[in-house]
Amino acid sequence: MNIKETLLKLSDAVGIGNITEASKIASDILSNYADTKQNQNNVVGKIKGESDYTLMLEAHIDEIGFVVTDIDNNGFLTVKNCGGIDLRTLPSRVVTIHGKEKITGVFCATPPHLGGPKEYDDISTLKIDTLLGENAKQIISLGDYVTFNTKAASLQGDRITGKSLDNRAGVVCLLALAEKLQGKRLPCNVVFAFTDMEELGNRGAKITAFDISPDEAIVIDVSFADAPDVSSNDCGKLGGGAMIGMSPVLDKSISKKLVAIAKENELSYQTEVMGSRTGTNGDVISVSKVGVKTGLVSIPLRNMHSDVEIIDIKDIENICDLLEKYILKGGNA
Amino acid sequence: MTELLKQLCLIDGTSGDEAAVREFVISQIKDFCEYRVDNLGNVIAFKKGKATPSKKILIDAHLDEVGIIITHIESNGFLRFTTVGGIDTAALMLRRVLINGKTLGVIGGKPVHLCDADERKKLPGADSLYIDIGATTDKEAEELLSVGDCAVMCSDFTIAGDKILAKALDDRVGCAVLIDLLKQDSEYDFYASFSVQEEVGLRGAGVVAFSVEPDAAIVIDGTTAADVAGVAESKRVCCQGKGAVVSFMDGATSYDRDYYNAALSSGIPAQSKCAVAGGNNSGAIHLSRGGVRVVALSVPCRYIHTAGSTCDMRDVVAVRDLTKYMINKIASGQL
Repeated sequence: MNIKETLLKLSDAVGIGNITEASKIASDILSNYADTKQNQNNVVGKIKGESDYTLMLEAHIDEIGFVVTDIDNNGFLTVKNCGGIDLRTLPSRVVTIHGKEKITGVFCATPPHLGGPKEYDDISTLKIDTLLGENAKQIISLGDYVTFNTKAASLQGDRITGKSLDNRAGVVCLLALAEKLQGKRLPCNVVFAFTDMEELGNRGAKITAFDISPDEAIVIDVSFADAPDVSSNDCGKLGGGAMIGMSPVLDKSISKKLVAIAKENELSYQTEVMGSRTGTNGDVISVSKVGVKTGLVSIPLRNMHSDVEIIDIKDIENICDLLEKYILKGGNA
Repeated sequence: MTELLKQLCLIDGTSGDEAAVREFVISQIKDFCEYRVDNLGNVIAFKKGKATPSKKILIDAHLDEVGIIITHIESNGFLRFTTVGGIDTAALMLRRVLINGKTLGVIGGKPVHLCDADERKKLPGADSLYIDIGATTDKEAEELLSVGDCAVMCSDFTIAGDKILAKALDDRVGCAVLIDLLKQDSEYDFYASFSVQEEVGLRGAGVVAFSVEPDAAIVIDGTTAADVAGVAESKRVCCQGKGAVVSFMDGATSYDRDYYNAALSSGIPAQSKCAVAGGNNSGAIHLSRGGVRVVALSVPCRYIHTAGSTCDMRDVVAVRDLTKYMINKIASGQL
């Protein structure tokens, strides 16, 4: 599997609410390597191993976006954001409205002296122009989703930019891992889970963890990468390898084992230490049922929650290698 | 004209860097008129009509669009830039840009999660933003580009019925109208200019007017339409779909009142520009030499000076038809 090509494709696909393009692509690929079931935007694929110990590898597949809350008679929409979005960056941004058909729209960009917003603290003041005028209501309904529509593209080196790399990068990492594990003797059962509604509060992971009842879980998500004006204390380095999470809510022995395996195999890694919850699905998986020992590995990413997120493919390859070694060692059993 | 407009909008031409647009324009008009390129890069064309009017008429549209120019390459490969023409910071933040028509970059700034509650509400200055091309060193970046290179915000060209969504409608709509007029037979001779550097102070059109020495001028441009949700009717300036926008006064020009009245009463869809704001090449042209009578016919564009500006092709057609009407009216001595 070509990681870059697959990620470009998954980035362009949509996965929010009832729109399951990305999950369908991921499910089709995963079914080549694992016993796979897709239920809306939750995809689960199981590979049997040589023990009863079950390790779940999880990445959320949903993306940030908007939901339509009002349609006026001139074709302007009011929306509510699904997931945190920098409102200041929305004026003049082009979006896809998922109505009865896909409609291209644009956030109004009215200058302040003509009545545009002076402050950006209320998304209901930022309207979307559907270009449909009075016909909008025939095609668009309340509750329809709106997503960014920028197509993913290559930057210099191994870097790519696109929408929803948070967390299609994690999904692709696990798809590549599933391929790598093909034909290998696995000391434990491995379950791949791509989950829905992380951006709305870790919802898909909650029910998936309940359903699978894993003995151990490792969450693959993205985290903040270095950029000008960002202190190195606040971020990882883009291209610097796996960001191994350490936090009170994560299992210390898993974090340590991941570090040890990275060192042993000379894989570059960095640590991401958090004082409380991680802001990832690890927060809910770890408290599923009687509790699940949970680890977190993050892919460094710039411009989070925008349509110009940036990642380095090398980091995905690095994490894929790290997780393969970790699984072949039997996880943390 | 839609296909022509599409080709024009998808070419990048920041002010001072209009060569690619100029070459395309020349490729379109060269079989239909005489033309020359002056010292600044303005294209000045002469269209021979069936008759030579006693008044020399100039029709102007500008080639350039707003963009950015690279001012510094940092040791870690990030680029600093400044804006060329008026661009709101909201239209810059987290945008994709194409540098020199080939190198893709992303404009970044202080991440919102690191901003305090007050910072999150307000737009930062453009000088705090940077371009990320994926390079990790200055050397890597310098192999691809140099300071002084220009970039524009990336956009597609979307057609939705009569509506167009694209960058650079200001003023490729004018270029499209002018090319279309030059390709048609004309009743009267006229001069046409595709001028440079409008967005940095109406600079190209001033020298065009000096060398052409027109008696009358028609300036074709895009203008702000604020006919959108949440804007009071009195602040809308003009409305999309209601025809050519004719100005009585803006920030740079007090227009010839006879021309203004004639344009509004032609029978071709037209509306007044209901604000004294902004400006276009009329500002430079009407003060050339001993003064030039001038009329501005504009296409109402929403979200102007962004990568997501919109226009209505019915308005573009109205501007073309009204331009032709005004040429004939002025040339025949009725104005």
